[in-house]
Amino acid sequence: MMTNVWAVIRREYLQRVRSKWFVISTVGGPLFMIALTVLPAYFAAKGERADRKIVVVDRTGVLYDRLQPRMDEAGYEVASEPWTSDVVVSLTQRATNDDIGAFIVLDEETLHSGKAMFYGTERPSAIRRVTLRSAIVQSALEVELSASGVDAQALLSGGDLQVEVLSAEGAGIEDPRFLVAYTGAFFLYMVILLYSIAVMRATLEEKTSRVVEIIISSMKPWHLMLGKILGVGGVGLTQMAVWLGSAAVLASAGLPALMAARPEMANLGQIRDVLPGLGLMALFLGFFVFGFFMFSGLYAAVGAMCNTDEEAQQAQFPVIMLLIVPILFVMNVIQNPSTPLSVGLSLFPFFTPVLMWARVAGGGAPAWQIAVSFVLMGGATLAVAWLAGRIYKVGILMAGKRPTLPELWRWVREA
Amino acid sequence: MSDSDFAVRLEDVTKRFGKHTAVEGLDLEVPRGVIYGLLGPNGSGKTTSIRMIMGILHPDEGRVSLFGSNADEVRRTKVGYLPEERGVYKKMKCLDFVMFLGEIRGVPRAEGKRRASAWLERLGLGAWADKKVEDLSKGMQQKVQFIGTVIHEPELLILDEPFSGLDPINQDVLEEIVLDFHAKGTTILFSTHLMDQAERLCQRVCLISKAKKVLDADLRDLKAAERKGLVAVEFDGPDRWLDGPEVRSMERVNGAMHLLLAEGADHQAILRRGVEAGATIYRFDLVEPRLHEIFVRHAGDAATGDAGTPTGALGNMGGRR
Repeated sequence: MMTNVWAVIRREYLQRVRSKWFVISTVGGPLFMIALTVLPAYFAAKGERADRKIVVVDRTGVLYDRLQPRMDEAGYEVASEPWTSDVVVSLTQRATNDDIGAFIVLDEETLHSGKAMFYGTERPSAIRRVTLRSAIVQSALEVELSASGVDAQALLSGGDLQVEVLSAEGAGIEDPRFLVAYTGAFFLYMVILLYSIAVMRATLEEKTSRVVEIIISSMKPWHLMLGKILGVGGVGLTQMAVWLGSAAVLASAGLPALMAARPEMANLGQIRDVLPGLGLMALFLGFFVFGFFMFSGLYAAVGAMCNTDEEAQQAQFPVIMLLIVPILFVMNVIQNPSTPLSVGLSLFPFFTPVLMWARVAGGGAPAWQIAVSFVLMGGATLAVAWLAGRIYKVGILMAGKRPTLPELWRWVREA
Repeated sequence: MSDSDFAVRLEDVTKRFGKHTAVEGLDLEVPRGVIYGLLGPNGSGKTTSIRMIMGILHPDEGRVSLFGSNADEVRRTKVGYLPEERGVYKKMKCLDFVMFLGEIRGVPRAEGKRRASAWLERLGLGAWADKKVEDLSKGMQQKVQFIGTVIHEPELLILDEPFSGLDPINQDVLEEIVLDFHAKGTTILFSTHLMDQAERLCQRVCLISKAKKVLDADLRDLKAAERKGLVAVEFDGPDRWLDGPEVRSMERVNGAMHLLLAEGADHQAILRRGVEAGATIYRFDLVEPRLHEIFVRHAGDAATGDAGTPTGALGNMGGRR
């Protein structure tokens, strides 16, 4: 009988993976992600490429040595020019001839207040101004502080805050973990819903097109349902593997390469702080798989008991509530992961994928609770399979009006 | 005879849906190798019976066996089933669809592909193998589905209204294929309300009306038993001469009067009366009773208590003549 289930899985999987929709969304997802993060930074930096040759006229005599490596690191080609009374005139000439991009004049005032003069044929972009200004200010600070024996370098690079967590605390909005927890929860909600509804539609289509009668005459309804769920689930996993895989490649190889080629895009490095690690990704997939099993079972039952899309739209209402309710709590749970409410909600199997993820990714769930949540989801999956399998078995061959709740209960008992 | 001598055997099978009894106390025996017709008007319980045979529905009472067993595995591998409500996976390619149906009935994919291609070719659909099923006409889809029914070379074919929806040419093609399978020893059970088809194809027939079996007999025996003398008359002029002690009943069929004679009656007496009455007689024909008439008679007997007339109850049993 397993060959039957396999045939159904295979059909369902190939049919979907070969569809245009799948290819577009699977390839389009990462492209969209790249477009959203990399392109704006890339275009902002692109304008800088034209003239990165900058001449520095250092009247203080101490700033250039410190400024030069910083400018270098930011991707500028710097040269020094000694101060003479007509240097501004000659450099202006060179800039107008496009021999150099611009020139900067540093003097005693720069040393005290960080003020400097920038001469260029064009107004510098915001990024460029920030880069140059911080390079100059940092150099000036270093010079001023070097006498006092302070480790200016360490201070300027932001120091190091060693964190000791005394009680499990949630992630605040400014914490990168918040972003991971929040977007991840939404993403889970989206993919679980998307693929569960795909199961419902497939069931409904089989039922209304009557093809189900041939299939059912050669396999148990339960096997057909199982094959459908596994097939559609496989498609979901494939898609997510592509998405997560391309995110990982982007983070581990793409970003460093990009940053090496375009040093001025260093701010993209922040993305890496936000990307979840391997363990977190595995948990994410785990939540998806169990969430999908629970909800696709319910949705298969909904599809089996209805005859039209409109009917199904109505009948799915209680099921979709099980997915929407946790979304309403997600904000609260991320910020207060250890309250009894958060723990309780996240351990309710149907809420677990969204809310337990929110706690885990937000950094506030002990391992044993995660383990318990998976055991509970496993139990819920079996319960759903039992219940939905029975509804499916009767409903899939039933025409006519949608069953009422008592009728539904009779199906479950009699099947 | 034991169960295993029959391809299909139903014993005292009853199926109810709520208060409605769809099939009541049905006994049915389909010997191996015959073409068996399950006849009856719409709503008489044919499809429910077939669904019970296919294990899609389970009888409330009674027993179903196929080749002496009630195992799903027998149904899966030995039986080909064409349901009344034709369903396809619209988005699948014809070849893939047929292969899939073979696969779930135990045909390996490579073998399934070979057989499917050969069948598509035979039914003139070779060029459509890689087209999506939804791109085909209804009739062509039905052929594809028929191929899916026989792809695993079943020993028993169960066809629910196989001819409905086909044009006359394709009905003939299908008839030919059914006879081919019969020649190879396949047992064929099909339901129909087309009496002509049943008359041409079946060796044995069973009539169901109002959830109950009315008649179950070998077609040849049935006809011999029913040959009580039926006369078809076409004429102009007065018609009172038709009635007489020899005539049990009469019915107008396609412009001719069909007279059913009483036991041992002399049809010559009627002819003489007609000539004397001055009627112009174009045709005076001793005909074999048609299945249609036999069934109208029997179903009519069973249909007591119905709101309609006996013939009304079988109104949709017309078929093509």
